[in-house]
Amino acid sequence: MGQLLKHPARSSCAARCLLALCAALATAAQAADWELDVDARLLTSEGGKSFLEAGLGTVRYGEDQSGLRLGRARATISQQLGEVWTLHIDASAWGDEDKSPVGVTEAYLQYRPYPFSGYRLRVKAGAFYAPISLENRASGWESPYTLSSSAINTWLGEELRTIGLEAQLDWLGTRTGHAFDLGLTGAVYGWNEPAGVVLATDGFTLHDRQTPLFGRVGRGGYEPLEPFRQIDGRAGYYGGLEARYLDRVVFRALHYDNRADPSAYDAVSQVMAWRTKFDSAGLRFESGNGWTAVVQWLNGDTYIAPGDLQLEWPFNARFALLSKRIGRHMLSARYDKFLVATGKGNPEGDGAQSGHAWTAAYLFQLNPQWRFTLEWLRVVSSSFNRGEILGTAGVATQTQLQLAVRCALGSSIQ
Amino acid sequence: MRLPARHPDTATASHSAWEPAKLRLRLMGLVAALSQAGAVFAATIAITVQEPGGHPLAGTVITLHPLAGQSQPAPAVHAVMDQLSRAFEPDVLVIPVGSTVAFPNSDSVSHQIYSFSPTKRFQLPLYRGTPYPPVRFDQAGVVTLGCNIHDDMVAFLLVTDAPFYGRTDATGSWSAEVPRGRYRVSIWHPRLRDEAAGFERELTIDDTDRATLTLRLAKSLQPARIEGRPHSWDSY
Repeated sequence: MGQLLKHPARSSCAARCLLALCAALATAAQAADWELDVDARLLTSEGGKSFLEAGLGTVRYGEDQSGLRLGRARATISQQLGEVWTLHIDASAWGDEDKSPVGVTEAYLQYRPYPFSGYRLRVKAGAFYAPISLENRASGWESPYTLSSSAINTWLGEELRTIGLEAQLDWLGTRTGHAFDLGLTGAVYGWNEPAGVVLATDGFTLHDRQTPLFGRVGRGGYEPLEPFRQIDGRAGYYGGLEARYLDRVVFRALHYDNRADPSAYDAVSQVMAWRTKFDSAGLRFESGNGWTAVVQWLNGDTYIAPGDLQLEWPFNARFALLSKRIGRHMLSARYDKFLVATGKGNPEGDGAQSGHAWTAAYLFQLNPQWRFTLEWLRVVSSSFNRGEILGTAGVATQTQLQLAVRCALGSSIQ
Repeated sequence: MRLPARHPDTATASHSAWEPAKLRLRLMGLVAALSQAGAVFAATIAITVQEPGGHPLAGTVITLHPLAGQSQPAPAVHAVMDQLSRAFEPDVLVIPVGSTVAFPNSDSVSHQIYSFSPTKRFQLPLYRGTPYPPVRFDQAGVVTLGCNIHDDMVAFLLVTDAPFYGRTDATGSWSAEVPRGRYRVSIWHPRLRDEAAGFERELTIDDTDRATLTLRLAKSLQPARIEGRPHSWDSY
């Protein structure tokens, strides 16, 4: 809001958009599905200085942030517009210093024609998550298993958002006498060209904060950066496939390439375009007696070529999660392993990071409204930048213990 | 299974051909059967369906088609397929051809019901409550129902032209009073594998008052849908 007040033209435009949106929502409020959540944390952290405060901590809260914190306050609305269109908006406050106290994490219009002859088409336009994570499956792109996401999915929440158009075509085998469903997804997008810079600076982290659209993400030792920018005018793409066995097994694979021009540079904002490509794959298995197993793998590289330089950072991460749901209780454990290497043009190892993490969580869902989660997270990592930029020890063990109390209200929470 | 009060248990119970209301419908078949097979008397047919390990299989749809003479479908019914807590209730409904089914939405959220099955294609645009008249099903076959907003919602309608039909109880059993004669016994269950392989047997009831048939599946069923998983887990 502060930023809006500083820019009257933008403020007026935003106010008009907001009024138009409110008017549209009010006329059709009968059919809207909505949800409001507040997630408060009591925590203790030995996590170094947080990445949100130019530190190189690998967990969300720095050691100076122990105590009572806001985890997330969230409002979401899904509004049917006519017969086959849906407008979805997800806005959150994270209790930290971004450009605005409340930011939108997803906002898109979805076209959902009726399935025909066993096929279903879905088209999204706006800003949303690519279908990669098998962990962040709950409303608000939250993980229902732990508070902190895995290293892979934390990075997706920090730096990646599809701001563009995505189409998904599913073959609904389970509706036509078969045991499998298959889906293909393709997207074109823009405004994601700095994606990769945080990985090459902070490395992988494990937390649940998602960067709001056009919001900021911290960089160790530097000013925060805005990952949602368009610099060279080139569109990125991804293509993925999904296979499901009944409601038990999901496999996803995706190739992502933001097609950024690695030599492009925005002199005004001093932001560079980072050419980021990766492949990802994941498998989620669920049993009928409450067990869930998730594995995900990500492998790629990010590349810049300012002037005569050519700098490359290959990266790789994977995790395995095991969870058991017993009535209203759920126990989960996860092991993460991650690496940011230094490739050509960067022999000194600037930005290199490697490490692993253990996460254990106990969740108690008292009723549809109230949920309590206790999570212990330990990250052991080695970071070149900790010594080089911050002058601290390169190898660090960071531990965070959080108790979260979450209250949810909504049209389908009863 | 929820049914209108004026038709108690019509859709689940077996049909006897000798109830007064059905007499007229049965008459032609009865005369034909009498002329071909001589004396026709009612007998009890009891069918049990088991999984490969011998466990009883509840909820299996059983239909009986007479192999001799003319066969009329069972009388049409007015059935209800409700929507409660983002699920269809019941998840399987068996109805004679010509029946109608109402699709009330008892949830606080809107649903958008569709079928793309060749047996009956239809759509009920976005609604809550009961704004639409019941849908009539005139062709025999399986109709798969879905909700275009909540992709995890699924249910099945089995529309049958058989004069006798029902579903097995918790002991895997179903029985009915039927005229003596030869029958084709068919079973259907949404979790059966290899539907095309067919699950049919012929059965002759001649000089006995009670015929029993036990059908044991050769292949195990597909796993049941996972229960108790929050709907919000299907958001992405």
